[in-house]
Amino acid sequence: MDLSSLLVQFVSGLSTATLLFLVASGLTLIFGVGGVFNFAHGSFYMLGAYLAYTFVATVKLNFWVAALAAALGAGILGMLAEALILRRIYGRAEEGGFQILLTYSLILIIDDLVKLTWGTEYKSLSRPPGLGGALVMGDLVLPSYNLAIIGVGLLVVVLAWLVLTRTRPGRIARATALDRETLGLLGINVPLTMTVIFGIATALGGLTGALAAPLRSVTPGAGIEVIIDALIVVVLGGMGNFWGAWLAALLLGEVNAVAVAVAPEWASLFSYLVMVVTLIFKPEGLFAPRQVRKV
Amino acid sequence: MTGADTKKEVIFWGLLAGIFGLLPVVSHNDYHLIMANHIIVWGLFAVAFNMLFGITGMLSFGQALFYGIGGYGVGLMVKYLGKAWFLPGMAAGVLAAAVLAYLLGFLIIRVSGVFFTILTLAFGQLAWQVTFRWYHVTGGDDGIQGIIPPGILGNKVFYYYVCLACVLASVWYLRSLSNSPLGLILRCVRQNPARVRFLGRHVRRNQRRVYVISSVFAALAGGLMSGVDNSVHTNMFYWTTSGEVILMSVLGGIHQFFGPFIGAALIKIIEDVVGSRTEFWPLIIGLLMMTMVLAFPRGVVGEFQMLKARWQWRALERARRG
Amino acid sequence: MSSRKAWGLLALALALVMALPLGVCAQDKVIKIGAMYPMTGRPGLYGLDSVAAAEMAVAEINAKGGVKGHKLVFINTDSQAKPDLAVQIAKRYISSENVHFIFGEVSSGAGLALTEVSSQYKKIFIGTDHASTQLTSDKLQPYYFRVSNNTFQSMAAGALYLKERQASKPWTTLAYIGPDYAYGHDQWNELKYNLDRFGVKYKVVGEYWPKLAAPDYTAFITAIMKDKPDILVGGLWGGDTVAFIKQALPYGLFQKMLYFSPDGGGNYELMSATGDELPVGLALSGRHHNNWPDTAANKKFVQDFFKKAGRYPSYAAEGAYSGIYAIAQAVEQVGNPADTEALVKAFEGMKIKLPEDPEGFTSYIDPLTHQIVQVQAIGETIANKDFPPATRMLGNWKVYKAEEIMPPVEYLKDHSSEYLKGRLPK
Repeated sequence: MDLSSLLVQFVSGLSTATLLFLVASGLTLIFGVGGVFNFAHGSFYMLGAYLAYTFVATVKLNFWVAALAAALGAGILGMLAEALILRRIYGRAEEGGFQILLTYSLILIIDDLVKLTWGTEYKSLSRPPGLGGALVMGDLVLPSYNLAIIGVGLLVVVLAWLVLTRTRPGRIARATALDRETLGLLGINVPLTMTVIFGIATALGGLTGALAAPLRSVTPGAGIEVIIDALIVVVLGGMGNFWGAWLAALLLGEVNAVAVAVAPEWASLFSYLVMVVTLIFKPEGLFAPRQVRKV
Repeated sequence: MTGADTKKEVIFWGLLAGIFGLLPVVSHNDYHLIMANHIIVWGLFAVAFNMLFGITGMLSFGQALFYGIGGYGVGLMVKYLGKAWFLPGMAAGVLAAAVLAYLLGFLIIRVSGVFFTILTLAFGQLAWQVTFRWYHVTGGDDGIQGIIPPGILGNKVFYYYVCLACVLASVWYLRSLSNSPLGLILRCVRQNPARVRFLGRHVRRNQRRVYVISSVFAALAGGLMSGVDNSVHTNMFYWTTSGEVILMSVLGGIHQFFGPFIGAALIKIIEDVVGSRTEFWPLIIGLLMMTMVLAFPRGVVGEFQMLKARWQWRALERARRG
Repeated sequence: MSSRKAWGLLALALALVMALPLGVCAQDKVIKIGAMYPMTGRPGLYGLDSVAAAEMAVAEINAKGGVKGHKLVFINTDSQAKPDLAVQIAKRYISSENVHFIFGEVSSGAGLALTEVSSQYKKIFIGTDHASTQLTSDKLQPYYFRVSNNTFQSMAAGALYLKERQASKPWTTLAYIGPDYAYGHDQWNELKYNLDRFGVKYKVVGEYWPKLAAPDYTAFITAIMKDKPDILVGGLWGGDTVAFIKQALPYGLFQKMLYFSPDGGGNYELMSATGDELPVGLALSGRHHNNWPDTAANKKFVQDFFKKAGRYPSYAAEGAYSGIYAIAQAVEQVGNPADTEALVKAFEGMKIKLPEDPEGFTSYIDPLTHQIVQVQAIGETIANKDFPPATRMLGNWKVYKAEEIMPPVEYLKDHSSEYLKGRLPK
């Protein structure tokens, strides 16, 4: 394989990786900060895609406005789910198991509600005007919409970093991850903080769904299709580690892109292979926070 | 165990063997036989799963991996070597599951809690992907059909009794295991792993042990099921299969040994009733699961016992006052 | 929530579920058809379309007084496209509901599992939409009949199309992209078999196997662009075709090569989901087309479906519709829906006029393989706003004779079940 086609595949991998990261980011955020494993994260991704479709096709909003509105919608639904349902089991014995069951039931419920609302026909969105084409440099074709998504991905990483390290809410969020009880004693409204963090995480999921809608078909069950890949990213990156998720997504995206070109027969197994090999050597993921090994 | 408990347990075993043993005599409807067969095999799968979850506190979201291996052990042997290899296939599947669970145990029982859950899920999905895409060998998404047990086993009623005997013996074994010193240690592992270590017991070794045991019986359930459905399919490996067995256990009650068995029966019946009446069955199952987790975390059997305890207490109060 | 209150709610919920309408009341003389179609997830659309079309056919026939004094009764259960569940449902139908026919299924995996049940219980299974050739060759059993095309027929027509094209616009290289499971592999193997059979010279420059329902095709697209095939054969279906085409657009893939997808590529939901984005000039086909043949029967079928469902049908619909009519015709001939052996004779060689038959042709069921024999048309995407929301439909049709695209005897000799082996001409 020559250098120029390797470069082409590399750029392909970058765009795959960014969408992977965006789905995984919300999942890892809520796990790292809130200690909640939201199995239904993919369902919020799907809700984002459907909401964006409605805002563009029915309300006739501009695509980017619609995407933000969809993120907001998914965020609000997420906050409702947290405040009305998930909150009830915090602190229960074996909370982890019940979280998984509860969010699993959300997957089933949201899937059917989506079917009742939007039907089973495939929905799809066009790329926003002006981003339908591509930058062409010799052999290298860079679709402008994919570039825009890569940009959004970088923006999310930088923004999250700034918010988490430089602002008061960010410091509260990090403190939530460490010790909720002390935080409560300091006069912080911990339940509200948890709800907001959950909302931000699901809004990230919804935003990703909206951004991915012009590239994919929007169907019921779309949430389940993305959640497993997102999980692999989260596990590889070290659960709860935002930067880790970004690097893991890049790793998986690039491994997949190169595998498709070199060994297309086996490409679909490579992401699992990366995961297995990593876990043999580092069961807590590549970039795990330290407390994982504690029983 | 107290005398009353023993008596109750005898009654339960009697009922179990009686109801399922007499069913083919009472009803000659093929479908009832199949439903009953599904219930007992899923019941075994759920009880085996609960050895991990309810007793040891390890929520595996990947037991479908072993269930699938059990099924494909039979399926592949019958496909390539002929139907006489049905029983050896079952043995091979169970053995393969034991070996794999032993090896995987070293790999994934290094982390705990949600991390363990997600690793089991990931490995389960890996196995599903391999079966799905290794099309030349496994038949991929087409699955393997025409798995008819040889000889007298081919008779549906006879096969049902064989399943029933296997299931009863397995559940009996798991029950005695759960009452043995090992079962006690496993319960301690769930409640306070640190203290188990202070007592000089190995947490991880015992966790690996129960992981292998649970997986072996999941594989046995998969093998038995291949003869009920006469086919195996990649769905056996899919994560929703793991999800279903979790749901059964939670519905029945994870802290009651027989809870998962009851849960399996309830889920199979609900699925059948709801599924034949509405296409919105996921909504109903989802709502049911949510209600169970939020309002009845003890499960049907656990809540029932709570209710009974409360009545007895009230009766006692009344007797004291009156 | 107090525990007692919660129990009350649960009991109420259960009671409600149980009280849902209990199917159809038993009638004296009925022909009962037990269908299994997926109603959820990705194949859910095909299941819903199939059920709507089957119910339409049932209503039409019953409105005309039924068949020989029998009313048709059609029941469906969501199979979730899962073989194990489909088997369980089929056994319920046979043992508890006394159905005369089992019917349906989009997924070939479930179809293969059901044909086993059909053979064990000697109950006729009418297959629609699932396309694995195995069902009418390696796995054929006496009680199975299929009323929509299999992949072999689509691929044989595809090979003829490519052969003709070589004469007008010479091409030499092929690449393939298809989902990584049996359906994807079958299509590619059968296309190559037929190209060889028709003496077409070609060179394969790439084969790509994304997993089913893969969300992202970018890496595949750039790899295919590098291979520069003249023709890219696509084996993707449904949402996967939609995603692939949308993602390939900005790369200019469709200007560089012909995208050719003769089995599932030309389904209506692709046109309705992509709208103006769908490039013109792709060569696609499917098992039924809303705008071909241009006959009164086809127009009526499509418009009636639209009136009933509020949307135009995907190709699964016509298969289910045909299946109901085939059953009605067989019972009409035999007079008794329970006389299975006589019905099998009636299905073998049955001639039946269907919406997808062009003028001057009548579909028939091949007595040897139990496969319906039909004309296949392959079209190119062109602008056409007759079936909104689609703004592209297929046109510039190339039509292939029904007999030419059936598996030849040499093929069947290598791919036959015990039952079929006994029937093959020596």
